[in-house]
Amino acid sequence: MSQRSPTVAERLFEQLAASAPQHERDAGLAIEAQGLVKHFGDIHAVNGIDLRVRPGQVFGFLGQNGSGKSTTVRMLTTLLRPTAGEASVAGFNVLTQDRQVRRAVGVALQDAGLDILQTGRELLRLQSRLYNVPRGQIEDRVAHLLDVVDLTEDADRRIGGYSGGMQRRLDLASALVHSPSIIFLDEPTTGLDPVSRQNLWEYIQRLNREDRVTFFLTTQYLEEADQLCDEIAILDAGEIVQQGTPDELKATVSADVIYVQVEGDERAQQQAVSALLPLPNVEDAQWDFNEGIAVYTKSGHDTLPRVVRSLDDEGLPFSGLRLARATLDDVFFKATGHRIEPGEQAGQPTPGAGA
Amino acid sequence: MSAAQASGEPQTSASRDSGPLRVLTDARYLAMRAIRESLRQPGVEITNIFIPLFFLAVSTGAIANFSERGFGVDNYLAFQLPVAVLQAVAGSSSASGIAIVLDMERGYFDKLLLTPASRWSLIIGRVWADAVRAIFFASIMLIAALVAGSGMAAGVGGAILILVIAGLFGGAYSGIGIFIAMRTGNAQAAQAGFLLFFPLLFMAPAFAPLAVFDDWLRIIATINPVTYIMEGMRGLVMEGYAWPVTEGGQILFGDDGLPQTKDPPALHWAFVSLAGFSVFTLTIAALALRARTRAD
Repeated sequence: MSQRSPTVAERLFEQLAASAPQHERDAGLAIEAQGLVKHFGDIHAVNGIDLRVRPGQVFGFLGQNGSGKSTTVRMLTTLLRPTAGEASVAGFNVLTQDRQVRRAVGVALQDAGLDILQTGRELLRLQSRLYNVPRGQIEDRVAHLLDVVDLTEDADRRIGGYSGGMQRRLDLASALVHSPSIIFLDEPTTGLDPVSRQNLWEYIQRLNREDRVTFFLTTQYLEEADQLCDEIAILDAGEIVQQGTPDELKATVSADVIYVQVEGDERAQQQAVSALLPLPNVEDAQWDFNEGIAVYTKSGHDTLPRVVRSLDDEGLPFSGLRLARATLDDVFFKATGHRIEPGEQAGQPTPGAGA
Repeated sequence: MSAAQASGEPQTSASRDSGPLRVLTDARYLAMRAIRESLRQPGVEITNIFIPLFFLAVSTGAIANFSERGFGVDNYLAFQLPVAVLQAVAGSSSASGIAIVLDMERGYFDKLLLTPASRWSLIIGRVWADAVRAIFFASIMLIAALVAGSGMAAGVGGAILILVIAGLFGGAYSGIGIFIAMRTGNAQAAQAGFLLFFPLLFMAPAFAPLAVFDDWLRIIATINPVTYIMEGMRGLVMEGYAWPVTEGGQILFGDDGLPQTKDPPALHWAFVSLAGFSVFTLTIAALALRARTRAD
């Protein structure tokens, strides 16, 4: 998780390798929700979400800021009461058995929620106590987790002096003190440098693969969803608009995409889309302000020359042309009508850092 | 500990995980954290010592020479000691609301809410820490006044009782800040909670006995619970401990249903007021916590 120590992921894995929550395997769904709704006054943050996450899955919520990802996580982890609908986590009802839910899950919310006046060790110690880790095991457990997230050297410094990345790592460690069988990570890699991000990915994969820990993570990074998740739900305006494995999702769009930058105003773009849609093999064509026109086709090689000819015939000049395999980005675009644009925070400290 | 252990035996941890004892254990850990918080911000705490000591010095300096002629108080330093104690305690206990708002802003409050610890332990931990801090600040006021010659008519027992009252008042006072923090989540509002301390402390016989007050102020002071807490402490400093009157080993009760005592002002009114005040502040704090954690 840090540049200093590229083996952090391995150590994370090793220390949790023995921690297979076997009983979860046959115990029904890890996370289940029906018709989950959350309104804040007139704002409809979540508009009826159904979820079925099996034990051992890495389930991802892919969506932009404000799509309802965090609100859903807060409902599933008992921080928010749903306006309507039901949900259970680890077999416990989030409304009536909230304490059992909290005991079963580990949570790292979007912003590392830490107390800057405590040291890293003190924070993990308090966290262990509140999670009822047996007294005699607390010191070992804390030392271990500190080692795992590579914070041993800084363990007795106050958290206020930690960098954003260090705070994230400590926050993650604090979600692990009670060895939960289900872990919620709300945008876990936002704000992390690429090396830390890669380390965290490896750690999540190993924990999941070897120990069958269930992950529910939210992200606005397509690559992250693609790499990590067994199943992805694309969230837009509080609703799941598309769901499946990464491969299934990619299969919903055509095999190839031709990106073409047509010059001119919106009318020119519309004209181009109208001209391109009837071409053989073309399944869809959409215009996006940033990416230009995306032409979805079963066969890029056949379609490419036809696109050129067609635009020539229409008298529409174009400045760029590119053939690509369809990616999750295209799936997202097709499902939501807009490109995902992560609110880029990578490398910036999280709020509260550096105080 | 492995995850298999932790998640494989939820029933054992469940049994250790609830009940009043568990609430108190969690509250104690949270109280220790809150006290650690104070120790690491000594600059914030120093005002809780400086301001009441300053007021004690200047009000005594200004008034002590005519207090006997003016309203029959010969030892004005002793008269002022309870005011300094209550002022220090109110100041230090106002900090909890602000601390909770900071926890909310930094997301740490959510992290605490995500643990299986009882919600109540979040309040009790703060109240507990404030009671401990109150006793600490009250001790400093007490020592300073004793060194300056206030005397303590009720002796060592009286001093201990004053610290007990200070601790209870501190715990009760922190309920106000917690209430504001839970209701608003706003640091400015929590800061403003400190202002409540002015009517509570100064619409009471802080500078002179009730007897010389204008009617309007005396009426307000009569319904102010702090009046009775202040006078209870003052009785200990200036007159001594007012033991309940007993007859044949039985405590005699007066017409008001309270134990009769030899010397007014009676200490028991201080405790009655403290009880009422704490029930009120802690109830509104608890209701506000409930509303915040359950409503949305």
